[in-house]
Amino acid sequence: MRAAEIITASVLGLLGGLVIADSLRLGIGWGTDGPKSGFFPFWLALIMVVCCAIICFQESRRATGTFVEREKFKPVLKVLWPAVLAVGLMEWLGLYVAAALYLGFYMRWVGRHSWSLVIVLSLGVPLATFLIFEQWFLVPMPKGPLEAWLGY
Amino acid sequence: MGIENLFLGFEVAITPFNVWVAVLGIVLGTIIGVLPGLGGANGVAILLPVTFTMPPTSGIILLTSIYWGALFGGAITSILFNIPGEPWSVATTFDGYPMARRGEGGQALTAAFTSSFVGAFFSIVLITLFAPLLAEVALRFGPPEFFAIQFLTFSSFVGLGGGNPIKTIVAILLGFILGAVGLDIVTGQLRMTFGFNGLMTGFDFIIAVIGLFGIGEILLTVEEGLRFEGTKTRMHPRVVLDTWKILPAYWRTFLRSSFIGFWMGFKPGGATPASFMSYAFAKRFSKHQEKFGKGEIEGVVAPETAAHAAGVAAILPMITLGIPISHRGGHARWADYLGIAAGPAFIH
Repeated sequence: MRAAEIITASVLGLLGGLVIADSLRLGIGWGTDGPKSGFFPFWLALIMVVCCAIICFQESRRATGTFVEREKFKPVLKVLWPAVLAVGLMEWLGLYVAAALYLGFYMRWVGRHSWSLVIVLSLGVPLATFLIFEQWFLVPMPKGPLEAWLGY
Repeated sequence: MGIENLFLGFEVAITPFNVWVAVLGIVLGTIIGVLPGLGGANGVAILLPVTFTMPPTSGIILLTSIYWGALFGGAITSILFNIPGEPWSVATTFDGYPMARRGEGGQALTAAFTSSFVGAFFSIVLITLFAPLLAEVALRFGPPEFFAIQFLTFSSFVGLGGGNPIKTIVAILLGFILGAVGLDIVTGQLRMTFGFNGLMTGFDFIIAVIGLFGIGEILLTVEEGLRFEGTKTRMHPRVVLDTWKILPAYWRTFLRSSFIGFWMGFKPGGATPASFMSYAFAKRFSKHQEKFGKGEIEGVVAPETAAHAAGVAAILPMITLGIPISHRGGHARWADYLGIAAGPAFIH
């Protein structure tokens, strides 16, 4: 528990540092027509870094406990890593192909459903979302080579 | 404005065609509200062209019905899946979702739609009676007042958050920082995009919500060794009637939340602070504070009443002065349409 708190606080603190760095690039002072672009992010990030440091300090003085047990952590990872992979694939393959691969893989590997159900759902769901978002509501989603080949 | 004008208005509104349009709008709106990533604003924007073929009154009726249907759709996902569809349904998840997990989803939904009705009705009555007067107050509202309201709201977050207040502050600051990503609207400079084009428009609320509430909820359910099924809800008319028997006991919450919602809504402040503030007040005044957050029906009643009272009240500056007070792009288009159709001359 203690380690998890400190890691989270440190990661957020580093993020704050990144924001501060970018704010300094933009200018944190007062321009001719009011605060410069970096003004607000700089102060927000500065307070956040200070708060994260306080959390780290508080936690380091507290008794340690378990954040998650090994046995329970396995199924969580099983859900998490295919999802992360699917998001990564979305970048080149587009939302719909990545969703079909993800659904198929996940239903077969974790859910152990029959192949026929896996194929019907992993093709049907992306197709339905494609129709809803691209055709009816005209919300553009990330698309990849397959959609390009089909002419979208 | 005489009372006879009001009756004339009702006569126009309650024609079979207009009632049909209203029912259609609410059904469509609820569907749009339940779909992730599509809010009332999108629905209104998409269906805007359809309304041009209708008489203006029917058009306004259709758009407002979609809007309200979508608002309620947001409450459905908040209660059943713990995923708020709109910023002002976030407070509804605090108690709505625990109720649904206990198998009381039906009660929570009934409380939600009843509260929406009460809040909206309260605001409608006040708007009808005091529109021109209130519109003037709304116009005097400037940046200092706006800041004060937001400050009060964020302070109440710190008070509401259970655990370590410093963590709540970190979460709020992180939210502000995420909100600052993208184009700075004052100077036109790009902030914190680090060369990614996708970050130019910043982080969308829906994305943050799905990531924080949706994925977090799924991972938590997996860790607890349960299968994620959403929650089963059977809506018997019985459940609705039984819930209606309990609800009058919360008349104080209804009244207080309606006032908070209306007061925050008719000037630029909005439904989101109203829902949080109303929740905080309900918790403070309650005799059993410890039950809040664990599935207390009052915790659904308070934010829903306030959010809808505020939502209706937000229409006021729009139709009286033609000024759209909104925080979402598509919503403003709807507001423009209402503004054009109704306009300042409509009231004066």
